[in-house]
Amino acid sequence: MATSVGSKFLDLDNGPDSTLLHRELNWLIQDSLGEGEPATLSCAASASSSGSTSSKKVVKLRTCLDDLYRLWKERIEDRRPFQYLVGCEHWRDLVLSVEEGVLIPRPETELIVDFVEDVLAENYGDGLKEGLWADLGTGSGALAIAIGRILGCNGRVIATDLSPVAVAVTEYNVKRYCLQDKVKVKQGSWFEPLEESEVELGGIVSNPPYIPSDNIAGLQAEVSKHEPILALDGGANGMKDLLHLCNGAASMLRPGGFFAFETNGEQQSQFLAGYMESELGGRLVDIKIESDLAGIPRFVKGFKAR
Amino acid sequence: MASSVFWKSWIRIGSDLVVVPPYNRFSWRCCCYRTARWYKQPNCLAATGNNKINFCAKPSWVTSLSNDIWWGNSDSRRCCGSNVNGSTNGNYKSDYLRISDEELMSQCEMDTFKASGPGGQHRNKRESAVRLKHTPTGIIAQAVEDRSQHKNRASALSRLRTLIALKVRNPVELDAYVPPQELLQILPASSTLRGSRSGPQIGPNNPKYVLGLQALLDLIFAVNGSIKDAAVMLGLSTGALSRLILSDDSLRMAVNEFRASKSMKPLK
Repeated sequence: MATSVGSKFLDLDNGPDSTLLHRELNWLIQDSLGEGEPATLSCAASASSSGSTSSKKVVKLRTCLDDLYRLWKERIEDRRPFQYLVGCEHWRDLVLSVEEGVLIPRPETELIVDFVEDVLAENYGDGLKEGLWADLGTGSGALAIAIGRILGCNGRVIATDLSPVAVAVTEYNVKRYCLQDKVKVKQGSWFEPLEESEVELGGIVSNPPYIPSDNIAGLQAEVSKHEPILALDGGANGMKDLLHLCNGAASMLRPGGFFAFETNGEQQSQFLAGYMESELGGRLVDIKIESDLAGIPRFVKGFKAR
Repeated sequence: MASSVFWKSWIRIGSDLVVVPPYNRFSWRCCCYRTARWYKQPNCLAATGNNKINFCAKPSWVTSLSNDIWWGNSDSRRCCGSNVNGSTNGNYKSDYLRISDEELMSQCEMDTFKASGPGGQHRNKRESAVRLKHTPTGIIAQAVEDRSQHKNRASALSRLRTLIALKVRNPVELDAYVPPQELLQILPASSTLRGSRSGPQIGPNNPKYVLGLQALLDLIFAVNGSIKDAAVMLGLSTGALSRLILSDDSLRMAVNEFRASKSMKPLK
């Protein structure tokens, strides 16, 4: 089934080709093995359509082969994202539960945690490590959880999301990593759920929706048909929420506080950096554009002026 | 979460257990290289064709070893008709294996395989493969098999250390040779030189193994590939040293390619 796809999806909407589907099939088999089964089972079955394996050894599966087959059929025929099939996504050193209604965290976003790590290492004396951080539009809770794990013992994270599904999934993921004391999850739009006592933020991170509305229909089917549009559509030019976040950062961050936002790429990053410099009256400083590992200027980061 | 039939998988995978998926014959054709010249460089040692990679243990991703050995000192000794770019082979310290991950990373350029299109929220294509290029030596290590970019980076770094051990040679003073402690640690207990300080024999999964690996290859290169001579220097029988070399695929390949260049028979 995976082989027959060839480059059809690739040509159609830049979707996955056979090679990538084979890798996913291996992951599917890996995830469906029972506890205690060797993780390095030889999966020569990658070219076949069901979850059978080539080894003669009997392996315990968590789910029956019919279910596996049905799931894989959904992957190919409905273009349902692999991460929704298996219900989880590997992101940094985390494995996060995801489901329909929640944006699947992207590898690019992993870098935001590196930026925060760098800032915490440099600004230890500045108290950011023990401060209050916000992950706005948290989705699966990826950024909030990763940052919660690198903060000091008094550091806290507030994760907000408008979507009740995202809030539920984030709460679940936070619990899995035993971070209930560290990461607070609140439903609401961007800064709205923050209480008055929470307006002096040490840091703000966000991967807000940034795709221009016109581009949504042309996305690969895995994204446009299955992922929540709320987490993708950034309005006419894709900047609606990013601008809101910039303005919010200028007022909500405490002096010396750090921010990092993910953007659609070069154009948005440059526009945002320019906007911060010219429109926010010097309240945000040290503004830098950072590229992702594919070389696309993906992030805007900086500090609140002291 | 009701639909998440496999969410439990993170219990197994999330507990710092090294999970090594077996990807056979992964095709690199689908990957465009952002910097094509790396691909063309003779000393680009691609980590391809992963089969049961146990991080450092059995790197079948080591495709070629002998055609680009680096000498970690200022004398311009070369071997194997080396095609190393002479201009980069100058004075530099080759203690790459003793520095921390952070320091080693700072000597590397890192990128992913070029994503076609805008990436980010636009795509769901698991392009989390990471490639590290160690700038001082040009050695390239990459990892693709994990699902997260972060873990692929860790795997690539671990592979880079093994590749450095295999490819960067330090000169050895054969008169009054005393094996360094790291080398003694990877020798079997039968070595007469192993004192009580050496502790139990360490294997490829120990981070210190690469230091011993490098020192062993340094010695074997210094004695021109003679296992017998090297064994004497290490207080081992020739058979015991052969068994040690054959127990590690990457070491065996490195030794055999060197021996082949000296028209010696390969170890089997």
